[in-house]
This record gives sequence, C-alpha cells and structure tokens, in this order.
Amino acid sequence: MELLRPDSLEAAQQALGNGSLPLAGGTELVPLVRDRIVHATTLVDVRGVVPKGVDGTTVGAGTTLGELEVHPQIPHALREACRLAASPQLRAMGSIGGNLLQATRCWYWRLKSPCWLHGGDRCFAREGVHREHAVFANEPCASAHPSDPAAALLALGATVRTDRRELPLADLYRLPTEADRATTTLERGELILELEVPAPEASTYLKAMDRQRFSFALVGVAAARFADGVRIALAGMAPIPWLLDGEAGLDSATPLPQNAYKLDIARALVRRSLAEIDR
Amino acid sequence: MARLIRTEKEVEGRYTEQWVVVEEDALEQWPAGPRETVGRPAARRDGFLRARGEARYTEDVQLPGMLHAAVLRSPFARARVRELDVRMAERAPGVRAVVGPDVDPLTDEPAYQGAPVAAVAADTYAQARAALALVEVEWEELEPLLDPDEAVRRNQLVSDPGRYERGDVEHGFAEADLVLEAEYRTQTVVHNSMETHQSVCEWTGDDHLTVHISTQFVWGVREDVAEHFGLPEDNVRVVCEFMGGGFGSKNGPDAQTYIAAELARRAGRPVKCRLTRREENLDAGNRNATIQRLRVGARSDGTLTALEGEFVNANGWGGWLASTGGPMRLLYACDNVRTVEYGAKLNTTPMKAFRAPGFVEGTFGLECLMDELAAKLDLDPLELRRRNYADHDAMDERPFSSKNLLECYRRAGPHWERRAEVRAGSDGPWKRGVGLASQVWYGGGGPPSYAWVRVGADGRATVVTAMQDIGTGSATAMAQIAAEELGIPIDRVEVSLGDTARGPYASISAGSSTIPSMGPAVRSAAADAARQILEIAAQRYDREQRLLSLKDGRILSSDGGSWPLEEVTGLLESGQILGKGSRGPNPTGMRVLTFGVQVAEVAVDVETGEVRVEKIVAIHDVGRVINPLGASSQVEGGIIQGLGHTLSEQRLLDPHSGRNLTVTLDAYKLPTIADVPVIVTDLVDEPDEHLTNLGSKGLGEPPIVPTAAAIANAIRDATGADVRSLPISREEMLRALREAGERTPERVGAPSA
Repeated sequence: MELLRPDSLEAAQQALGNGSLPLAGGTELVPLVRDRIVHATTLVDVRGVVPKGVDGTTVGAGTTLGELEVHPQIPHALREACRLAASPQLRAMGSIGGNLLQATRCWYWRLKSPCWLHGGDRCFAREGVHREHAVFANEPCASAHPSDPAAALLALGATVRTDRRELPLADLYRLPTEADRATTTLERGELILELEVPAPEASTYLKAMDRQRFSFALVGVAAARFADGVRIALAGMAPIPWLLDGEAGLDSATPLPQNAYKLDIARALVRRSLAEIDR
Repeated sequence: MARLIRTEKEVEGRYTEQWVVVEEDALEQWPAGPRETVGRPAARRDGFLRARGEARYTEDVQLPGMLHAAVLRSPFARARVRELDVRMAERAPGVRAVVGPDVDPLTDEPAYQGAPVAAVAADTYAQARAALALVEVEWEELEPLLDPDEAVRRNQLVSDPGRYERGDVEHGFAEADLVLEAEYRTQTVVHNSMETHQSVCEWTGDDHLTVHISTQFVWGVREDVAEHFGLPEDNVRVVCEFMGGGFGSKNGPDAQTYIAAELARRAGRPVKCRLTRREENLDAGNRNATIQRLRVGARSDGTLTALEGEFVNANGWGGWLASTGGPMRLLYACDNVRTVEYGAKLNTTPMKAFRAPGFVEGTFGLECLMDELAAKLDLDPLELRRRNYADHDAMDERPFSSKNLLECYRRAGPHWERRAEVRAGSDGPWKRGVGLASQVWYGGGGPPSYAWVRVGADGRATVVTAMQDIGTGSATAMAQIAAEELGIPIDRVEVSLGDTARGPYASISAGSSTIPSMGPAVRSAAADAARQILEIAAQRYDREQRLLSLKDGRILSSDGGSWPLEEVTGLLESGQILGKGSRGPNPTGMRVLTFGVQVAEVAVDVETGEVRVEKIVAIHDVGRVINPLGASSQVEGGIIQGLGHTLSEQRLLDPHSGRNLTVTLDAYKLPTIADVPVIVTDLVDEPDEHLTNLGSKGLGEPPIVPTAAAIANAIRDATGADVRSLPISREEMLRALREAGERTPERVGAPSA
C-alpha cells in the first residue's frame, strides 16, 4: 500500500479517486483497511491540505475532536459530543470531518457478515443480537450511526463545505436503499473542507452508554435552541444521524425485541436536554 | 525429617487426594501484627521495570531465527473439515512449516468457533497470515447446540452432574415459615488478559525443548509438554519471568504451545505462537454463563431451614464443572441443603478457571436470594447473615482452621449503617442505596512447594524458587518474608523465579495459592540459612548459639555483642550459605477457607437505567497480611474486574450461528478508570494459627467474589428493583425497575408520564 502526502489541495484532489482514499486521523480508516472492509491501494494523507482550527462559526474539517471539546467558540452541544466520544488518545487524532463519515459499529457488519449493508440480502442483526442497534428506519438494515458530533451538528443545523459544493449536514447522509447501500452522499474523491456551525441560543448533548467513558452511544441526544425554534437530533438510534420531531417523534420508532429500552432512555434524555436549553 | 503423607490438595475449589513428602514445619508463627518488614507496605520490586518497559514478557522474547505462527481457526461453531489442502500455503513466501488436523490439538471436527484446525510458521507474522489464506478448506457446517437447558435435557454434559445433599431438604422446607424461589443468571465473561496467550518454543537437538510462555504454572506446563512430546521432564525448560495477566486462563500449556513446539520441531527454528486480541476472545477460555434456580426456606426469625439449588453451567465444549453451588454449601449454617450442578456441553469456547470460578457466580445468586429473603421477612440483611453464621464446615463436619467473618461483619457495621444517609442523598431520578454480600472461598494453598535462600559474602540474600509472579506482587512478598527471617532490609534481598531450570518446584499461581504455598517454604529456607549463619557466628565469636539472633543486618548477642552480618558471611569469600525450605502440610481434619464481606454504595438513574457504583468497602479475612500495599492492590483489581462482570462485560453470541460478536474491545466492554468507585480495603490481618509457619491465606480471588451481589443488593435498596441477571445493563436495569413498578409502584422513583 502506498501513502501519499500531497502539499496542496489540488495535488490531493488529483491523487484521490482510482482506488485511493483520504486519510486524516486514521482512527476509523486504518482499522477498516486492516480488517479489509475498506479496500484501498493508496492512502492520501490530507492533514496538510484540509483546513484546521476554528474561526468564528467556521470549523476546519481537519480540527481534532480534542481541540473542539475545549474550544470556547464551539457551541456546548458539539463540545460535549466531542468530550463524550472515544478516549483522549483517539480524540487527539480523530478529525471532525472523518468523524462525520464513521461507519456503523454493527458487529455483524464489522465482522464482515455478508449482510444487507455489505450488499447481501439479510440483516443478521434483526434476526440476531441487536441491543445496540437502530430503532428508527431499521428495516431492512438495523445498523446504528455511531457519531456523537454528527448528531450535535445536525441539531445545530450545520452546513458542510466540500471541495465541490456546500450542503446542509442533513443532506450529507442518506438512508441506504436496495440499489445503493451507501449512507452518505459524498462522491468518490470528494473532500469535506469546512463546517459552518450556527451559534445557538443554547444547546446540549446527552449520552447514554454501557460504561462511563469510551463507548459508543446507546442513545445520544443533541438539542439546540435558536430564535426560530428547537432542533433535536439523535445518535445511535438510526442508520444515520436522526432528526427528531420533538419528544412525540419517539412514538414513531420501530424498536426490535432487544432494543426497546433505548426509547425509555431517549424519552428521559430528550426531556432533560429540552429542560437544559430552556434555562 | 521427611514425612510421606496422603493429603487433600485444593486448587480453585477442586480437591484431589495425593501423596506428598513434606518436611516438618518446626517454625513457630511470628506474633500477629506488623513485623520489621512483613506486615508493612512494600513497593512492588518490579514496578519501575514494568513502568519503563524493561520487564521482559513472553511478548518481548525474540530469538535468533525465530519464526511466527498463524493459526487457521474454525469460523463455525460446529463444523467438519471435508477437505484441507495446504500445498499452496507450503509454497507461499517465507513459509517454513505447516501443520494440519493430524497434529494434536488441531482438529478436523471443530466444535466451537475459533477451534484451531491448521497452522503455519513463516519468517514474519504477515507472511504466516498470508499463507493461511492459501489453505483451501472445504467446510461442512453443522447445527450448533447453544442452549444450556437443552444440553441438560439431552444429557450432553462435560461430566457427571455434581450432586450434594445433607439433612432432609423436604422436611426443611416443610418446617419453614417462608419459602422463596428465584432464578438468577450470569453471563459469559472473557478474561482478556492484557498479554494474550503466547508461547515461544525452541528445540535443542531433538530431545530438549525450551518453552517461553505467559503462564500461571511453569511446572504444570513442563509436565504436560514433556508428556505430549514423550520427553523426560528435565529435558523441558519452561520460562516465565513476567506476565501480563492470567486470572485462571493460563494454568496450562494450551494449544499455542503445542502448535509452536511442533512447528519449531519441523522447521528446526524457534517459533512464536501468539494469539491476537480476537483469538484471545475466541479460544482462551472464559467464565461460563450460569442459570441458577434457587430455593430457600426460613423461619420468621430468619433461621434457614433449607437451601436448594439447581445450577446449569454453560461450559462450552469442555472445561470442568465449576462449583457454582459451593457458596450455598459452605456459607451458612443450614442443616438441609441440596445442590445439583450440570456442566452443559455446548458448541462454544470451553470455559477455564476465572478468578474464583463458580463462587463468583454462585455468590451472586445466593447473596441476592438472602437479601430478597430479608426483605420478605422484614429483617436487616446483615442481621440475617449473622443469625445463620456457620461455626464449622457442615459439608464434612470439620472445624475451620480459622474464621473471622463475624469480625468482618462487625467492621462492616459503620458502613452498613450509612444506609439512611446514603438514601437521603437520592436526588431527582438518581436513587441511592447500600448493599452488602458475604464472601467465602478457598485460598489455603498447600504442598509441595520448595524454595532456596542463598546468602553471599556481602550479606545479601537471593530467594531462588521456580514459582511465577503473575502480576500480583508475590515476588515482593517473598522478599519481605526472607528479609524478615534473615533480619536484613528488604533491599538486600533478590528474588529469582520463573524458570524451571533455575530453581526448585513451586506452586501453581492459581486458587489464591502463591502466598500461602510459597511463603512458608521461603520462610523455612530463610530460617535454614539464618540457623547456619548463627552456627558460624557462634563459632566465630565464641558465643552460645542460643544467645544469637539476626536483626537490622547485624548479628546480635543477648549478652550485648553486635556484629555486621557481612563480617561473618565475608569469611566465606566466594562461598555461600545455602538454605533450603519446603511447604509443610495443611492442618489435618480442618477446612481452610477465606471469608469477607463487601458493602457497596450505588446510585441508579431510574429513568435511564444508569448504574453508578460510588463506593465499595471490602473487608476480608485472609490470615496474616504480608504486604498491605500489595494486598490493597489485589483488592482493587478484584473489585474492578468484578465491576465489569456486574455492569458492562458480556460475550455475545449470534443465537443462530453461535458466532462470537464481541471479539474486539470496543464491543466487549471492560470497565474504564472512569467507572471505578472509591474502594476502601480493610483486612482483618489475624494469622490462622493452624496454617503453616505464616498463618497467611491467599487474596487473589476473594475480593471479586461478593462484588456483583453487593452491587445488586444496593440497587434493590436504592430502587426496590430485583436485578437477577448479569450484567446489569441499561435494559436489565430498566426491566427490573418496570417489574418492580408494576408490583409496588410507590416504592420506585420512576416519574409519572
């Protein structure tokens, strides 16, 4: 395998495509390549060419979660989502751009079962062990999206700027379909460069996990209040970050036998998050 | 004089009768309490070596020309290998040897996922892995059996059921004022030692084999490997200087040793076979899941009239029948007890010993049942335990060699009495409570175990014994014991261990036995050396030997003389004083057990099912404590491991294929430091007057035994919910809260909708 370190965005763009993939912190991509879930002949280290740091409401996609969790200009919800993610070591490496593109933690998918999301015709989780899996949009695939920051950014109404276009964060994600099992709309070789994160009046992120730290969300709830209303988004509850239409939105969930408990947790956390941003 | 005796030997709660030759143990025990060195905190001798990365683990062993092995494992829980073609693999780059199912313990009928089928040795691990991919296998996948109750129904068991009965159980239930039944379940947990299972094997000629291995028992490995390859035992050398955790999973050579040795023999080069983390989760043992159907009868004053338990151990494809019913048989005074234990033989990874195997699981069931009984009888749970205190071992009508459980209960009192205060700390959805659970376990160690002590001309001593320090700090304790007996500071004592070619036979480090087995042997060796020094000093200084003693690195005479130790030993120049010692017998006709109680304080978020353990007070009676610092470290480690077992760890299998879904440490959730509560250690530190020249028992296992039950009982105290299944995950906690809410809504702090 080849590792390229281009010194300009143009060089990086030229190197991408043709079986090469962009590499930033590597906390997600390296294990996926190692496990041969993702195939690449060339990795393109984009850390030198993707913007980093925070400038007002603009966040460079190369900024690490560790930087964001302590940054005073970052809304509380995103800081908390970063702080409650992974471990300090991983947050020191992982970039916010890469974090948005994380694949599901579904054990069947990670262990390379020939499942629906891998292009097969069955969801092993639905028939098997799915305590950590999706309660929304979980048919035919019950995978859950793991990113805490993605839920926070969705609640915050963030915009994504790539090297080709600008789009609402919500449009970065798509539910996989029979014809196309991808969970993002990013094109081959397209690079996330910056995020535009509107400043809310108040925001928060609450997370339930199996232990106090270093665990993916069973339920993550992000809430943000703006002048025109409140937005709630969920992590770990659907195959993609999930916008929730108020607490009542939980009533339309379709939990599986082992994960209905997630709705109990979500109900409590949604109420708490709303109470918290209402102060 | 050497004495041949027939004795009962216990490891991990399993007894075997065997002959041992023991030396008389003529030494009187030291008086109770801290001595010059023993009983005082001593920093771990290898702490800096470990922290600086200088300690050499098996993982670090690199021999010239060493090859690396990779193992082809069954992807199926049950399968048959129809065809296996290794010809392509044999021709792959770097490959030096390939072995298949004809080589024991490789198999062509794998009965659990991860069972080893073939193996390759190559110049690099990557080459070995690449070659494995070229092994062509035609599998026939077979239907696995995964349900333990179904295995019992089919009588598919690893051994005959364990049946025990005393008294008249029916009569006991008939005379009870209250009979209570409940079913408890515990999950499968994996040891996940930081250092995975691994061995490096090197042949010298065709009849001498050296094995570097991460193991809890160098001598056991030596014996098993010698037998496997038909070698004289002395031709096999086994080395384990440092070890990164075992917890019961490394008591034998395991498949990786035989695979490495066979590949090394064929390739004519040393071979390392090291399990990856995923392999460690597939084929390195586990604590088996259990189903416990329990029944208790009691009078209204709390006196137990009958106890009955059916225990189904989900053994997997082998292992042994752990004593899940042990606590029920041993912990309380009850005349009428019946237990039956089944070891369900399933298409899952075989269990192995895991830190107090059986008793951790059985204590969870029994001690939760006791608290449920206390609630029904409206009795204080601590008082209920006091009223059923066992003053002798009712299994064999034997006295205990020592038992200070009442003292443990007395010390638990102030922590237990915090209940009202802790409950008053409940805040909104967070409900707080206190729970306790008792502990009984073995830990007496036994013979045979030997040690030598060498004192040089410079007055420094080396303890030589081929035991292993599996990370518990036992080497430091041995140095303390030798220093105490020789009257020298601990920094003048070295310990040489972990090599069967370099010292005498020593105990397995399992069953909390290293200190109680090795400590007395080291003391007796040091006493032998001290006696010789005093004999020489008596001649050198023309004193009667009975007037002389060793203290602070000097020879003291009670008539006032005092000489540096090295003045006498210095006479020897290159000569050495050689002391030898052995472990004496266990007290005949007595039951040697460890006891304790833990008090847990928890907070439960009744809306989200989050459980936070805020504090655990651990009070244990393990005889004399050699190193209070090392002891508290063992207690902390046991409780943290117990916390994982209680709250977050579980091996999950796909219910159809039997495939392990939690082979990586993101999916298999060990506790992090953020999960660790305040841990208070309080050891009774009363020497067992009947047990050896030290009066010390082992402490490796006792601290993990009561943790789960203490936490579950604290949860009941906080919320009124009965958690009866481990781990107490969010869903289990919320389920129990819902059930309790349906039963008695006013007791539970769930919010109104």
